[in-house]
Amino acid sequence: MDQFVQLDNFSKIAPYAQLFKQGMLVTILLSLFTVVIGFCIALVLALMRMSNIRPFRSLGLDENGHLRERGFLALVSRFNPLSFLATAYVEILRSTPVLVQIFIVYYGVFSLIKLPSFQMFGFIKFDRFFPGVVALGMNSGAYLCEIIRAGIQSIDGGQTEAARSLGLSQTQNLRYIILPQALKNILPAIANEFVVIIKESAITYTIGVQDIMSAVNAVKGATFVIVEPLLVATAVYFCLCFPTSKIIAYFERRMSHGDKR
Amino acid sequence: MATRDSLIQVTDLKKHYHMGAIKALDGVTVDINRGDVMVVIGPSGSGKSTFLRSLNLLEEPTGGAIVFDGVDITRKKYKDQSGKMVKLDIDALRQKMGMVFQHFNLFPHKTILENMTLAPVKVKGMGRADAEKKALALLDRVGLQDRASAYPIQLSGGQKQRVAIVRALAMEPEVMLFDEPTSALDPEMVGEVLDVMKELAKEGMTMVVVTHEMGFAREVGNRVLFMADGMLLEQGSPKEIFENPKSPRLQDFLAKVL
Ligand SMILES: Nc1ncnc2c1ncn2[C@@H]1O[C@H](COP(=O)(O)OP(=O)(O)O)[C@@H](O)[C@H]1O
Ligand SMILES: [Mg+2]
Repeated sequence: MDQFVQLDNFSKIAPYAQLFKQGMLVTILLSLFTVVIGFCIALVLALMRMSNIRPFRSLGLDENGHLRERGFLALVSRFNPLSFLATAYVEILRSTPVLVQIFIVYYGVFSLIKLPSFQMFGFIKFDRFFPGVVALGMNSGAYLCEIIRAGIQSIDGGQTEAARSLGLSQTQNLRYIILPQALKNILPAIANEFVVIIKESAITYTIGVQDIMSAVNAVKGATFVIVEPLLVATAVYFCLCFPTSKIIAYFERRMSHGDKR
Repeated sequence: MATRDSLIQVTDLKKHYHMGAIKALDGVTVDINRGDVMVVIGPSGSGKSTFLRSLNLLEEPTGGAIVFDGVDITRKKYKDQSGKMVKLDIDALRQKMGMVFQHFNLFPHKTILENMTLAPVKVKGMGRADAEKKALALLDRVGLQDRASAYPIQLSGGQKQRVAIVRALAMEPEVMLFDEPTSALDPEMVGEVLDVMKELAKEGMTMVVVTHEMGFAREVGNRVLFMADGMLLEQGSPKEIFENPKSPRLQDFLAKVL
């Protein structure tokens, strides 16, 4: 009778341990790059969404230089193209499957832009890895944007009022007062996003990124066993994600203690 | 009308919300002179905060004029002496007006000293050493020099508010605006903050103070404004306002708070 897991199958896949090790390294690198790129995109998006740049502002002033309260011109004067673009980006990326986004980036964008085909660390195919990072980074940028925005909005409005009343410009207020406080508050959320990305990055094996899932695939092709490699993959993902979230939770607790001092 | 000593001339100032459905300010006209200690009193929701916050444009008025140092700051653009249209520099304007808030609004991620040197260094371009020297001297004035390296969370409410006051003073403003500076304090700490404000008044600082401390209004104020429903209902010397209130609204208000 067939068993779900057969021990001798593990010995069949043992020679491929190196593939899993490499896959793990790729997954970690992929996730790290993704969260860094995602964060940078997200910060720009969040600032765009919260910006106050209104190119048609002067249309909203009446002949005395006062703000108009109503009317078409008042509406136009409040239009903020940066914020509009950022909002559209976030909503589109959050409302479409990440698989579709990855395919568009890989088969669409990077079929037009030729990437150099060298190998990082002697085995990571850059022309697969890079599109994977870009696609995942763009996707997590949309989610991190909302986290950053919430972090900024959670800072008491009195902080901005105090800063502006001292003569700090909007940019100085962001840089010296708001962002330092907001980023400290959302650090745990960013770290959690890192764990989410580790798991989501599995999808990049569909464009040939040599991560843990692609190791599973390779072993399956060579040995015709599938369940056991999947169990190995499960164990590796768990060992990456579980301790990371525990460490985050630990620091989160410690930080909140610091606040209550 | 601008007299020689007049610092801020407010004319028919209006702040409407929701297309005029809410009139937080409904035509306030008043002159603030150099050296004035102007105390603003009135029931909650009467527009006191809105009036104060309009003066340094934390609120954008929807009508009227505020002329400060000869420029109507409610206009985003104005003609300078040579007749050229220039943009109003709000940041430069705000440096000249210190503001103290009910909830202190110290920067929690910065030490007391950093709270005080940030604006002088980043906005005025003062050297760090000079800014720190000045900050320490100001802290000394309010008896807090030994707390310079503490974080705001380690201070009592009264200490926080004293720091907030000297933080504003570090920018050498021409006028100080106070919005209920003692309302969030435990009663035993009110005195230490009012004492600092009294000192400031004695030195001739121009002050606009929204407060429920009628003792302070009487003792330190040289003018008292009574606001109700976004309007300036009555103004006069403390003596006139407290001993001879004319409008029924003011008589009613005083009966409740005194
Ligand atoms: N952002 C706002 N939107 C709508 N109404 C507001 C807003 N801010 C203040 N108001 C209203 O304006 C009035 C005056 O408020 P405020 O100046 O804070 O009064 P005070 O400081 O005297 O208590 C209140 O009725 C208040 O509800
Ligand atoms: Mg108020």
